[in-house]
Amino acid sequence: MTESATEEKKPKLKSDQMFVNLGPQHPSTHGVLRIGLTIEGEIIVKAEPDIGYLHRGTEKLAEIRGYHHCVVISDRWDYLNAMGNNMVFCMATEKLMGVEIPERAQHLRVLMLELNRIASHLLFFGTYGIDLGAFTAFLHAFREREMVLDLFEKVCGARMTYNYIRLAGVMKDLPKDWLNECQEFLTFFKERLVDYDTLLSFNPIFLDRTKKVGIVSAKDALDWGWSGPNLRASGVDYDMRKFEPYSSYDKYEFEVPLGKDGSCWDRYYCRVREMHQSVRIIEQVLGGLPEGPTLGRGVAKVPKAKPGEAYAAIEGARGDLGILLVSDGNSSPYRLHVRAPSFVNLQILQEMLVGQKMSDVIAILGSIDIVLGEVDR
Amino acid sequence: MTTKNLDKEALQAKFAEKFPKAEAIGEPAEGAAPTNLKGYLTMKLAASSDIIPVLRWLKDDLGFSYLDMATAIDWKGPVELDGYIREPNPNVFLPDGATPQVAQPLPHKTVNYRDAFELVYLVSNLEARLKVCLKFDIPRDGGSVETAIPVHRGADWREREIFDLFGITFTGHPNLIKILTPDFLIGHPLRKDYKHIKDRFDD
Repeated sequence: MTESATEEKKPKLKSDQMFVNLGPQHPSTHGVLRIGLTIEGEIIVKAEPDIGYLHRGTEKLAEIRGYHHCVVISDRWDYLNAMGNNMVFCMATEKLMGVEIPERAQHLRVLMLELNRIASHLLFFGTYGIDLGAFTAFLHAFREREMVLDLFEKVCGARMTYNYIRLAGVMKDLPKDWLNECQEFLTFFKERLVDYDTLLSFNPIFLDRTKKVGIVSAKDALDWGWSGPNLRASGVDYDMRKFEPYSSYDKYEFEVPLGKDGSCWDRYYCRVREMHQSVRIIEQVLGGLPEGPTLGRGVAKVPKAKPGEAYAAIEGARGDLGILLVSDGNSSPYRLHVRAPSFVNLQILQEMLVGQKMSDVIAILGSIDIVLGEVDR
Repeated sequence: MTTKNLDKEALQAKFAEKFPKAEAIGEPAEGAAPTNLKGYLTMKLAASSDIIPVLRWLKDDLGFSYLDMATAIDWKGPVELDGYIREPNPNVFLPDGATPQVAQPLPHKTVNYRDAFELVYLVSNLEARLKVCLKFDIPRDGGSVETAIPVHRGADWREREIFDLFGITFTGHPNLIKILTPDFLIGHPLRKDYKHIKDRFDD
């Protein structure tokens, strides 16, 4: 936001300032986030996001836990995109250990990551509607999300914390008939995606509340370190799947949806269009799934990585999810750092909310799509 | 100026021209542990005061406008188990009275343990699809670094996180307060010599 833009938004009438706590138990903060808002009439003059309510110290925990245990911990960062967390930790560790991953496992990983992206974006789609008073979308989104979670349950037994992507591959092969069920879901889901546009995306009330609200320029978005659909909604083409293709992403054709002006609606619609692209990727994976083993060799029960440092990053559902892994030859990491996209995306609120109306706070907060488990780690 | 064709070698040459004191970390000497970030150009800066000029030069002249990651590593040595209050992996099948099988991490002879924090910055050039890692050491006692906020606004919370977990201060930071750990927690948990002091939530 430029100086002049903030100047214009300042209220013309002077009134008393009031301090309002938004959260930590507000339903639309999607977890335990507190924002201390100082308001003047209806306009926000100061916003202080306060995080840490869900801090579990996973980086400290990892220091004395084995690599296999760390995969389990990773599920708990961003619990809506747990496959991505498993994936990025395994990628960093595999880089250090130098293990080969079988071809089939690579494809299964991509399949799961994209299904998980759909599940995560569906939750955003549903709850963002609720935040803005549209309840119907939520029911639709959760019906479809449940189908994805059922698919995951059949594969690995868990609905949210999968622990499916393991060092050197995946936990086990797909169960019988799973591919058909996945195909059935895709056929069903593609029709629903069209419904979503008529249901919410181009709903006039929804457009009024999001179209010209919370605009972030590409320069600001980059400067604040935004990533994922948030950054792309501002028109910056930055997607780790294209930037540094990992696993077997370079074999599939897909587009990276970009927004125009970086408004709340653009961020919302980027995610909806990403679901279309995820479906496209999944169809390609299902079409050319190679046969073979799903778990590579060369990882011990208590693995030790050679001393060294590695950084791995993937495009999680919320953005650029990175892991810095430092090993000193022990059976647990010497230092594990999680570059959590939600944590970085959230900090812009302190500048972005200033000058906005009180009623737009939820629209802006919802559009950034944070998961507090990942913010606090 | 477009930086689309920039690659690792060209960037390293530009570094040698502009900041000759910064050395690129290449393959380690015989028997030593590698300290470069695998696959990325890793530059070891000569002094902590270099970081802001380097970040600004990278951003203004070479298009590295995206601060990807900023964090720190404590190189004091393997963490000690008595810093934790709970057993890391309780073995429920262990008979009563047996000693718990928790492995104390041991120092490795090839790793360069030292009395220092190492700060790690990763900046990206989105056009050239290139990332560069910047590293430098600061002393463990009373070390401080200049804040990167004037160059990358997004450094704000990441510096607060480093301050909270390591106790490294960032001079010039407008709001350097705890961010993740609760107010009553004493100490900086990611320091290798951190000892947890029991509080009312531990029992």
